[in-house]
Formats: sequence, structure tokens, C-alpha cells
Amino acid sequence: MEILDNLALGFSVAFSFQNLMYALLGCMLGTLIGVLPGIGPVATIAMLLPITFHLPPVASLIMLAGIYYGASYGGSTTSILVNLPGEAASVVTCLDGYQMARRGRAGAALSISAVGSFFAGTVGTIIIVLFAEPLTRMAQKFGPADYCALMALGLVAAVVLASGSVLKAIAMVFLGLLFGLVGTDVNTGAQRFTFDIPELSDGIDFAPIAMGLFGIAEIVVNLERHLTRTGTIKVGSLWPTREETRRSIPAILRGTMLGAALGVLPGGGPTLGAFSAYTLEKKLSKNPGEFGKGAVEGVAAPEAANNAAAQTSFIPMLTLGIPSNAVMALMVGAMIIQGIQPGPEVMTKKPDLFWGMIASMWIGNAMLVVINLPMIGMWVKLLTVPYRFLAPAILLFCCIGAYSLQNSTFHVIQVAGFGVLGYIFSRLGCEGAPFLLGLVLGPQMEEYFRRAMLLSRGDAMVFLQRPISLGLLITTALLLVLMALPSIKKARKEAFQEEG
Amino acid sequence: MNRFLSKDFLSGLMFIGFGLIALYFGQKLALGTTVRMGPGYVPRMLALIMMGLGVVICLVALVTNAEPAEKPKWKPITLVTIGIICFALLFERAGLLPALVVLILIASLAGEEFNLKEVLANMVVLAVVCTLVFKVGLGMNITILRGVW
Repeated sequence: MEILDNLALGFSVAFSFQNLMYALLGCMLGTLIGVLPGIGPVATIAMLLPITFHLPPVASLIMLAGIYYGASYGGSTTSILVNLPGEAASVVTCLDGYQMARRGRAGAALSISAVGSFFAGTVGTIIIVLFAEPLTRMAQKFGPADYCALMALGLVAAVVLASGSVLKAIAMVFLGLLFGLVGTDVNTGAQRFTFDIPELSDGIDFAPIAMGLFGIAEIVVNLERHLTRTGTIKVGSLWPTREETRRSIPAILRGTMLGAALGVLPGGGPTLGAFSAYTLEKKLSKNPGEFGKGAVEGVAAPEAANNAAAQTSFIPMLTLGIPSNAVMALMVGAMIIQGIQPGPEVMTKKPDLFWGMIASMWIGNAMLVVINLPMIGMWVKLLTVPYRFLAPAILLFCCIGAYSLQNSTFHVIQVAGFGVLGYIFSRLGCEGAPFLLGLVLGPQMEEYFRRAMLLSRGDAMVFLQRPISLGLLITTALLLVLMALPSIKKARKEAFQEEG
Repeated sequence: MNRFLSKDFLSGLMFIGFGLIALYFGQKLALGTTVRMGPGYVPRMLALIMMGLGVVICLVALVTNAEPAEKPKWKPITLVTIGIICFALLFERAGLLPALVVLILIASLAGEEFNLKEVLANMVVLAVVCTLVFKVGLGMNITILRGVW
């Protein structure tokens, strides 16, 4: 019954007029930016971060969650209509979605993907509600050493998902941790790496880093790629045929289950969910030859899995404070800026925020079906705006957004600097996600590490003596060993090749 | 192709470089003891591990056939960066309008196609939108044109 009470509290928060408006606004803006080709959810959230900062905490998180879902939906739309995935997770949707569009079934593909995503989102929300309490209770037993080990596991697991070299991804985590330490040392008050710049004494602001690393760098890479358009876009009827419906329902169910399960894993998330769901459907299908030529299951299952995983990946972030992917790292950053330290205390100390956010996730999903289907004509129009108009406009909004954070042009300069760094990363094939995870976890991890060492009187064995910490560290070590095994290495390489 | 110009070798160098920067600027920070760590302990530890990883990445890149780094296209990244810096410099001194005009002009030059008429139209539209949204709508405290509004 407690769950129902919590949900009632959540819905009472989420259904306030103000919060409904922020959820709607978030979904609209998210879709608006997400539908622009070549811009995925991470870049979208990074660019829109500043507009949420001046809101109250609940409203700001509700809006950010809305932006996230909107951006994912927008990404599916571009994948189906113009074959340009904004993120890795919608690469699979391109395979069959675009083929359906070419056969004149774009409308059906869009509505199946929207309804499937909505169903998956609903299931995902229910799973969050069921798991949030027990996990939180478990996390409250954690000591500093355990937390440190948990973060190590989270970081390593996230690395497994970064494509390319594991070594480089781990080095990126360390670089992110180092950047996270810039500012005043909490324990001693010493200034670290601030170069006597007063703006840096509170640490490097998270938003300019995210905007530069993901937003600006992505725009520049798109400018280089010189995105080309494919002819006219016809959506056609939104109604799927009876045959399409019959085939997509089981696919949506399977995709939802798989995605929800994979989303909870540290380092899991939408991409893993979507790819696994596609592979599963292909294996189960009576005629696998249809896949890649416009099989409706190839759209329904990955889209459902994508959204279910997007939803359940909130679980480790909300209960343990451990982000499992770049989007969650952005959410953690946004929470810290709002003065909320993500972790098990959020649920007990700020139940309205916790449950309100969960309830608004479901509302956001419902809104998106409404925004996406009837208004599809508007989004299609937006798709036809050439990139040479969009790129300068996005840059401009980023600049104004960065300035608005603290009314300081120093932030705008920081955006430019991190844009260059992000560009270098992408040229050298270094993933930005591990860096971002290290960055948000850096200060906390140092804090827990120092506290654990202080409690144990400088004995590093404490990490191996506590059962929870030991278990987590063994898991971490196993993951690292697994990554080094030749057969896994090969399979991983192949998986990422399919992706790229 | 020079084997030293592979993506992996260069990123290894980048990690070593960042590690050196962290060590150099962190040398004055007190190390402390393992029980009571000073502000310099964790940064130094992280920097050393990262440099170690950087060295391994470089060595692996030299031994294996690493993917060569693509030649960077300097135009977009340089122009975009200059555009943003100009915006930052002009925004408070001259106001939103001049900063916007300069940013849009430079950013438009970064693309492959440049059509002055289109760029001008883009500027006008964005100037109107930004003024309406940020100044009138959100009531942000920004100057549109220094000395005028």
C-alpha cells in the first residue's frame, strides 16, 4: 500500500498545472532539438541544460526528463524519415524504419514506434516504482568504502559500453575525475588547479563542459560531414494495417522486457537494449530475410526496448546516485547544481521530488504520443530546414544559454574551450561519455575514498575487508578480465562495427 | 602514413600531457599521509595512473596496426571557436545584436555553402526571435544594443 501512497504523492506533484506545463515544454523542446538530424539526446540535453537551472528543483528535473524523452522520440522520427540517427540507440531503427518509409509506410512505422515506446515507458515507470524502495534501503547500508567500490564498478561497467578501446575509455574516466577535482578542496579549503581564476574556485561548472563537449563538438562534426538531404518526405497514413499490428504487438512486449532488464545494469541503457532487441527479433522471426528490408518487428521491438531501457536506467541514478550512461551523468550534474546530492537520501528526504519526477515520467511519455503523432507534419517541416541555417542558430542559443547560467561571459568562453576539447576527443576516437561520468563522480569518489581511508587509519585493505565493497570490487575486476578475453574482445568489436 | 600519427598514439600522448599538466600545477598541493590525505594526494594519484595508461596506449598503438588519425578540417572548428569567443567579448560590451551578427556571420562561414542573402535573413529572424524570447518573454537582464536598449 505504501507504493500506492507514494504514487499518489507523485501524481499530486506532477499534476500541478505548473509542473504539467514544464513537462510539456520539456517534451516539446526535446523533440524540437532531437528531431534535428545528427543531434542526439546527450547533445540536446546539454544544450538545453541552462534553461532548467532557474526553475525550482522539481520542475527543473521534470523538464529535463521531458527533454530526454522528447529527444529520443525526435531521434526515432529522423531515423525513420530521413535515415539519420541522432544517437547510437536509434541506429537500429534506421535499418527497417527507413525501409518502411521508402515503401510508403512511414506513418505506420512512426505510430508503431510511438505506441510501442509509450507502452514500454509505462512498464519502465512501474518497474522504477517497484524497485526504488528496496534498492534505496539496501544502499543506506553502504559505508564510504562500499560507495567508493560501487562507483568504481559503475565507471568500469560504463566503459564496457563505450565503443572502441577499453584502455582509452578508462583513461578518459581518469581525465574526467581529474577535471572534477578542479576547485576548492572540501576538506582543507586549498585551491586546486584554479589558476587564480575566481570563477573556478567552485569547480568547473558542469553545464559549459557538457555544452562544449557534446553540443559544440557535435555541431562542428556535423558541419564537416556536410549532411545531405534525401528528396521529399512522405508520411502517409498513420494507421498500421491489421497485419502490421498483429506482428508488432508481441515484438513490443519482448522488446519492453529485454530493454527494461538491460536498462538497470550499470553501463546498460538504451543502446544495448535496442541492439539486443533487434537481434532477438531477427533470431525469433520465421523469415529473418525480411529484416533490413522493412520488417515491422525491426521497428517495434528496438523502439520499445530503447524506451524501456531509457526509463529503467533512471533506477541506479535515483537510488544509488550512480549514473549508468552519459544522459544520466547529465541528470546527476543537473541535480547537483540544484543542490540535490543524488543517492539514497533523495527518496527519504525529498519524497515529493522523487515520486513527482517518477510520475511525471509517465505523463511525459503520454504527452509525447500526443505531440508526435498529430503534429508530425510540423516536425517534418523542420527536417527540411537546411543545416546551414540551423547550425549558427543552435550555436547562438548555446552561447546565450551559457551566459544565462551566471550572467557571465566567462562561461561562454568555457563553452568554446570545451568545444575544442570535445572536437579533439572525437578526432582521436575518445568517447565523451566516460569522461562525463568521471567528471560527475570525481568529487564524491574522492570524498568517500578519503573518508574510508581515514576511518581505516590509512589501511587500504578496508576495501577488501567489507563484504559489500569486496563483492563490488570482485565484480569490477571480473568485468575487466572479461573485457581482456580474446573471444569477448572480438564479439564486442563486431557489435560496435554493426553500430557504426 | 607515419605510425606515430595514429589515433591511439596521439590520444596516449594527450593523456600523458594532461597528466604532466596536473602534476606540474599540483606540485605545491600538500600530499598528506594515507590517513589524512592532503589536497594533492588524489590528484597526483589519478594523474600518475592516467599517465601510466597513456604510456600503455602509446606502446600498444606502436606495436599494433592502429587506425591512422584523419587529417582534421581546420575551418569549421576554428571558425566556430572564434565565433563563440567574439560573441563572449561583444555580448556585454556592445550588446546582443552586434554579438549575434558577428557570431552568425562567422558560424555561417564555417559551413560549405555561403549565401550572403540567406545569412542576412537568418540574422534578422534570429535577432527578432532572441529579442522576443530572452528580453521580452523571459525578461532576462541583457542589453540588446549598448546605449540604445
